[in-house]
Amino acid sequence: MSESPKISRRGFLKVAGGAAIAAGAGIPGTAGAKEPGGAATLIDIGRCDGCPNYEMPLCVTACRERYLSRVPEPVDPIPKLFPRGKVEDWSKRKNVFDRLTPYNRIYVQKAAVSEDGKNREFHIPRRCMHCDHPACATLCPFSANKKYENGAVVIDPDLCFGGAKCRDLCPWAIPQRQSGIGLYLHILPTLAGNGVLFKCDLCHERIEKNELPVCVAACPREVMTFGPREAVFAEAEKRAAETGGFLYGKTENGGTSTLYLSPVPFEKLNGVIEKGPGKPHFDPVKPRMAETNALAKAVLLSPLVGLAAAWFGTAVAASGSEDGKGGK
Amino acid sequence: MEERVLERKGLVVRHSLLERIEHWAVALSGLVLVATGFFELPVARRYFITEIPGLGWSGDYITSLGIHYAASAVFIAACLFHLVHHGLLRHDGMVPRRGDLRASVEVIRTFFGKGEEPPFDKYLPEQRLAWAGMAVIIALLILSGLVKTWKNLVDPQMSPALVLTATWVHNGAFLLFILAFAAHIGALVLKPNRPMVRSIFTGTVRLDYARKRHPLWMSRLEGESLGPEKGTKGGAGDTAGGHGRTGQGASGP
Repeated sequence: MSESPKISRRGFLKVAGGAAIAAGAGIPGTAGAKEPGGAATLIDIGRCDGCPNYEMPLCVTACRERYLSRVPEPVDPIPKLFPRGKVEDWSKRKNVFDRLTPYNRIYVQKAAVSEDGKNREFHIPRRCMHCDHPACATLCPFSANKKYENGAVVIDPDLCFGGAKCRDLCPWAIPQRQSGIGLYLHILPTLAGNGVLFKCDLCHERIEKNELPVCVAACPREVMTFGPREAVFAEAEKRAAETGGFLYGKTENGGTSTLYLSPVPFEKLNGVIEKGPGKPHFDPVKPRMAETNALAKAVLLSPLVGLAAAWFGTAVAASGSEDGKGGK
Repeated sequence: MEERVLERKGLVVRHSLLERIEHWAVALSGLVLVATGFFELPVARRYFITEIPGLGWSGDYITSLGIHYAASAVFIAACLFHLVHHGLLRHDGMVPRRGDLRASVEVIRTFFGKGEEPPFDKYLPEQRLAWAGMAVIIALLILSGLVKTWKNLVDPQMSPALVLTATWVHNGAFLLFILAFAAHIGALVLKPNRPMVRSIFTGTVRLDYARKRHPLWMSRLEGESLGPEKGTKGGAGDTAGGHGRTGQGASGP
């Protein structure tokens, strides 16, 4: 695999942001733009052919080359969990690449769509959407999962307990668990935790060094465009308008930093793709975290309520004390 | 309702209605917080809690979070009310005093039949220490919880170091809170302390118990009742005491 194009130092999100995109997919420069959500990725489904001449798509190969060896070997035997006994062991199935696994953090989904009497086959790279308000990260009980300013949502394997709460909270159930490794083994291996969750980290370490994620860099057809969020979003809108295409990921789960552009409606793709564990859907997704926003605001205001009540209560008590002086 | 002797009923008012409301607001919201905090860990489904009738929601992290938030709002407001209201009124009866640690050890020894109890004020020395300890734990829970709430609502990209610190302070204080709660309940189980329990429900304790075990409090209360500015309240035979230095300021039993 060739090394990815270098993005000019410190300029990834600012000065040379446009150059970064230009290196990836020829988006006009947007120097100086402020990107509150960091980087974004546009995945143009119409461009992907699934790398038919290769054993596995090159984006998948690149990702596996980088990450497969980073998953430690699990202990043998993996402790049975109390009381359910369920463990998830992918260590003997590392070669699986037709779904997401701890060892396979991107895969290419296939969709055969019939349109206007013609059959079209689409290939769709699927990995973490890197949501703008990721419940998987904000609600991780150990803060092992974090949203970084560069847009990446990253699980720290050294802090993860393997409870898979992030997978339960993810609308696409992206994170995948390997039992028998991680922190939980050193604490209460049969009673709490169950390994480590793994998923795409957007090549967080690379983009911090202004390098492209390996999947983006490895793609010969420039299916993925990676760069400053505003520019990527603008490019996605432009392409969608020019081609009559459809976008997914812009509003799903309250917004993500991954936009899919498809020539056919996502309902159609969703209807024909294989869905299930490790094989995410294209359903519309409402942001469930937002359901709690009003109550979260009440929490933030509650100190003021307590102080106001104390002031009022004290004033009443003082006034009662004055009124009742000598009379009690 | 102030502290006062209800001679005819053979009772002493130990906790006002307001103090009992404070206590139960903190206690009940605190219990809900413990339960929903626990449900934020991935345990409800694993340990079949979701299959207990009425607790099906416990496996839904968003529902638990909503309930956790609602209880937090009550908890924080009640704790701040307690601290500021009684602070402003200088109700410092539960604030630890010099020598409380040593005195607590002596008192605890008496629970196991070693030595005799010293005369008590309204609160036992270990109650004052427990109040201070719980206040520190609650302060840690509230501050870290507010940081986490801010992160959830406003700033999902908050500094990872700050998020990690807030999370582990919250988790650690959560464990300490459970231990402190267990110690609180454990103390009430001890036979000598049982007569105090009724006060947190009814506001009163038995007069004979108070005179025997809390003579410092009673001498002040009954002494003040004879003073020129204190008269009777609630009918003949009831004597009222003011908010003496050690008279109020907490809602523990």
